[in-house]
Amino acid sequence: MASPEVHHLFHHPIADHSFSADKQTLAVARDTSVELYARTGNGFKLKDELKGHDKTVTSVDIALKSGRIVTCSQDRNALVWEPSPTGYKPTLVLLRINRAATSVRWSPSETKFAVGSGARAIAICYFEEENDWWVSKHIKKPIRSTITTVAWHPNSVLLAAGSTDAHARVFSSFIKGVDERPEPGVWGERLPFNTVCGEYLNNSAGWVHAVSFSPSGDALAFAAHDSSITVVYPNGADEPPRAVISVSTQLLPFMSLIWNGESEIIAAGHDCEAYRFKGNERGWQLTGSLESKGRAGPGDAREETAFNMFKQMDLKGKTKDDTQLKTVHQNTISTIRVYEGSGGAVRKFSTSGVDGRVVIWNA
Amino acid sequence: MSIIQQVSNASLGDNWRTINIDLLDPDSSSNFDTSALHPALDPVSEQDVRALGQHVRQQLRGGDAEGALRTALENAPYGGDAAAKEVHLQTVTEVLQSIKASEMTPMLQRIFGAPGGGELLDVLMKYLYKGMASSSSPSSSSTPAKRAGSNLTPQSTGFSQMGGRPGAQNESSGAAMSVLLSWHEKVVDVAGLGCITRCMTDFRKV
Repeated sequence: MASPEVHHLFHHPIADHSFSADKQTLAVARDTSVELYARTGNGFKLKDELKGHDKTVTSVDIALKSGRIVTCSQDRNALVWEPSPTGYKPTLVLLRINRAATSVRWSPSETKFAVGSGARAIAICYFEEENDWWVSKHIKKPIRSTITTVAWHPNSVLLAAGSTDAHARVFSSFIKGVDERPEPGVWGERLPFNTVCGEYLNNSAGWVHAVSFSPSGDALAFAAHDSSITVVYPNGADEPPRAVISVSTQLLPFMSLIWNGESEIIAAGHDCEAYRFKGNERGWQLTGSLESKGRAGPGDAREETAFNMFKQMDLKGKTKDDTQLKTVHQNTISTIRVYEGSGGAVRKFSTSGVDGRVVIWNA
Repeated sequence: MSIIQQVSNASLGDNWRTINIDLLDPDSSSNFDTSALHPALDPVSEQDVRALGQHVRQQLRGGDAEGALRTALENAPYGGDAAAKEVHLQTVTEVLQSIKASEMTPMLQRIFGAPGGGELLDVLMKYLYKGMASSSSPSSSSTPAKRAGSNLTPQSTGFSQMGGRPGAQNESSGAAMSVLLSWHEKVVDVAGLGCITRCMTDFRKV
């Protein structure tokens, strides 16, 4: 297995990252701005800075077809950055929320995006041609606490959201005139706006950190703060799900997860490395880490010589420098995204974390 | 409006600064109903828990410590009241104290390896934390003479600073604590840190 491609951008937490469709541009949420990096050979070079928010930017997403960037922040605003020959032009979106915006994602159709917030609401935003601005409709019921994460179904109508009330929910965000009427499926037949298609809770009830639909959209996975992932296979409207499988792990909680095909999930979080889960409707299990263990950490090579040993003893009173983790990421991984793949199978994925690194892995 | 009216009428003579205003705000987090965060729990009476405790002690006397531990953990009275839960904590603590240190890790590994065993160790961890929380409380009530003798009026801060050095006069609670701590270490070795995070998130309290 080829070794991962590590880009240490800066010494500051990365709240979220997103690659453009051609992988030449990388957007990174850093503090109150979004930095755009351009690929130059093997590395990334700072190209542009999107300054428009005045509080911490919590999430960023690049639309793959149009190249538009949407960002949201604790200042309760979302901005859509339109690419133009003279740089990116921001447009403010009327979210009408009174708490921080926590998470934003473009729908696959790119005509809408969803913003999760601390106001116990999800704003579904779409562009209104006649007024020439972005407007939002709220999904409120039955959310009882902050929305931490949102994820879209491939049909661009269904939306999954995870919340600090420990529930993962699936909503319809159907908007007349914007969306095509969706085909009836396992999540339900008639799907007017704010239909709750599913509400899931696992036994140990941790805050939900991440949600994701499988590539077909017929299964939902979520990771919660009880160090578990839960996979739900629904069974049509008003029916109990066919299967709800919860995998409790011995690890620290996962912050983010992606599907690789229908039978594999890759999740990463507070353990600073990515783990693989495999399974199907009959059961899921943790199969192991994606990092090869026993690999020499970045600091190991220097300690070989006697000179270095005595230097370490003199400086730190010990011979081993144990301030570095054995993992590539040196702190919590906050986001994991598909980098390259086809038909639901992932060839490469990218992670970013609190340590200011963006790493591209082979799945 | 009516709430404001009521409150101001009722509190005119009172010390209105002590009113917990969070309780009056329906959106406040202190009014968050946590009953939706766990599955429905069957009510368990204190008698049932006592009967279960007897059964567990019989298993223990019969030499089947592992079976006793399993029975106690599988039947944690989530739906019981505080007294019932206290009784079951006593039962679990007794089982834990009767198991030798050398037997702990192999026994935990056997339980963890069995189907549903991870869940049992999560329950065990909950009892360890509950045991640690409650084994310090008798020490504060066991020193009334010391309290009465001092001129300071002790305020109930929730911390028992008057309890004295653990192990000095509370040798029994100190010993109980060391048993719980060594179990804690071994449960983390077997079930990992995930076990602790689940203790914190789970709303099915023991």
